[in-house]
Amino acid sequence: MIRVADESKGFRIRAATRGDMEQIVKLILRLKKLNEEFDPLLKVSDDASVDAEKTCREALETRKDSYVVLVAEDKGRIIGVIIAELRRRPFYEPRVSGVITDFYVMPEHRRKKLGESLVRKASEELKKKGAGVIMAEFPFQNKIASSFYQKLGFRAVVGIFGKEE
Amino acid sequence: MCLWLGLDNSAGQAPNEGGKPDKNQWYTLALKYAKHYAGKVEVLPKVPITGLKDFSYWYTPGVAAVSMEISKNKDLSFELTGRWNTIAVVGDGSRVLGLGNIGGEAALPVLEGKALIFKYLGGVNAVPIPLGTQDAAKIKQTVMALEPAFGGINLEDIESPKCFQILDDLRSSMNIPVWHDDQQGTAGASLAALINALKLTDRRLADTVIVLFGSGAANLATARLLIAAGADLGKLVLVDSKGVLHAEREDMDELMLKHPLKYELGIKTNKIGVRGGVEEALKGADVLIAASKPGPGVIKKEWVSKMNNDSIVFALANPTPEIWPWELREAGARIIATGRSDFPNQVNNSLVFPAVFRGALDSRCRTITDSVVIAAAKELAAFAEEKGLRDDYIIPTMEEWEVYPRVAAAVASKVVEEGLARRNLTKRQFYEQAQMIISKSRFIVERSMEMGYIEPLPGDD
Repeated sequence: MIRVADESKGFRIRAATRGDMEQIVKLILRLKKLNEEFDPLLKVSDDASVDAEKTCREALETRKDSYVVLVAEDKGRIIGVIIAELRRRPFYEPRVSGVITDFYVMPEHRRKKLGESLVRKASEELKKKGAGVIMAEFPFQNKIASSFYQKLGFRAVVGIFGKEE
Repeated sequence: MCLWLGLDNSAGQAPNEGGKPDKNQWYTLALKYAKHYAGKVEVLPKVPITGLKDFSYWYTPGVAAVSMEISKNKDLSFELTGRWNTIAVVGDGSRVLGLGNIGGEAALPVLEGKALIFKYLGGVNAVPIPLGTQDAAKIKQTVMALEPAFGGINLEDIESPKCFQILDDLRSSMNIPVWHDDQQGTAGASLAALINALKLTDRRLADTVIVLFGSGAANLATARLLIAAGADLGKLVLVDSKGVLHAEREDMDELMLKHPLKYELGIKTNKIGVRGGVEEALKGADVLIAASKPGPGVIKKEWVSKMNNDSIVFALANPTPEIWPWELREAGARIIATGRSDFPNQVNNSLVFPAVFRGALDSRCRTITDSVVIAAAKELAAFAEEKGLRDDYIIPTMEEWEVYPRVAAAVASKVVEEGLARRNLTKRQFYEQAQMIISKSRFIVERSMEMGYIEPLPGDD
């Protein structure tokens, strides 16, 4: 369990619990709406909230050993979330990666290194769970995300291209 | 925001006796006169010419000496040519008055009109330049390339949100003042009126809850200027068509990508936690500045009646305010302003831009900062205060033309104080220079009319 208190910045980062689910779902939906801005193939579906709940339940309950879910909290409210999944990497070394799939910080709390703290803490936790490499998934056109990760030392490794049929 | 001059009885040719013409009559007249005069401004010589030999110094070979001097020191172009008093009025036709995106050629009559006002009220030679592109990068590139010709740039009728980035980038990269009138002109006039309205109601800017309704170029620029002038960010509440702007609004991420200024304001303003729409925002608010869409009926009396005591309301939409002044009065608003000349307290950018450029040009200014705009607003406010503030007189009228040299001098002095001037004079000298240039400009028009060089308005066919 991690408990990082950073009172000076007015937030703390901790592992998510089941009680956080409702607030996490809201942040995931905001993230997906943001993704929608980058590509029509990322159009958010009508039942996206069901999917968000499903993801949460899986990450916090049914398959929690394969996930790391951290939240940033400010005065009892969740202002940021990071969800990462441990995945096997057939054919390649290292064999296990920790993949950041959902990562969102509320607008008001950006530019305070909160995102950076979340990624670092999540990376530590993923390493403890066996990840030999940390990956992050985000829309190709999201330049803000790409420059954010590059600043933290990440580089583009694989790309996924798409085309409507 | 569109420029609403509505000068009464222009040249004594009121088209219908006893009343002001309605919009359609203005349209008819404007078309008729445009056809008759085919252009509103022209270039005239300002040096004596007695024969063709004179061109040996006005032009080749003599002019080469002047060029050589300037090539050694580019700033000499402000002393040895007309650059010091010439600006470009640049538009891309993407947001012309209330007409929307109508393109460069169609924007030309508006830019010409603007140039005319620049000359008449500010003595500024303004060259209308509609652009053949609406691409932000190309606009910036083009305007930057115009720098050697001009002492300043007035951007006009460029749509939001691209106008914000264009202005900011040009301001930081050019060595002459760049001004976007739809932003700064309107914001400056609103600030001037607000300064006096706060005085009359015994308020301090920093303690005042201000609701800005409408989030186009005018109001976002007003928000920026109010902040620079000392308003409390947390007590500013912006309201747009989607309701109250706040840091957690659903569309904040979309704004981050498409409208960075609004996103920024969304994060920083409204710390008092207002949620909902304009109705909720107005509960207990001190000031409403509306620059949204033409009314009446856009703002309801019931909403205004929920504002704080001695409330201040500027309903600035043109050609009709969001709510009529008498409705505001009935709703309990104490100080009321609109964008119209036929109601008291006309908040009009025409009070600002001719004087700001007069002062900027007389000081050979490098850039017009927010402090300069604030200085202009304060001088406008002071002028009205000296005449005697009343609830129905918080800002000078356009007829009080002595205000222009006053504001010009305040602007020029502020430019000097900020270290942005190429030419340092005292405030008194700046005032005298501005007054001389503006008087001369009006005198030339009067004399040209007397002499028949400017023809009288055509009568009915």
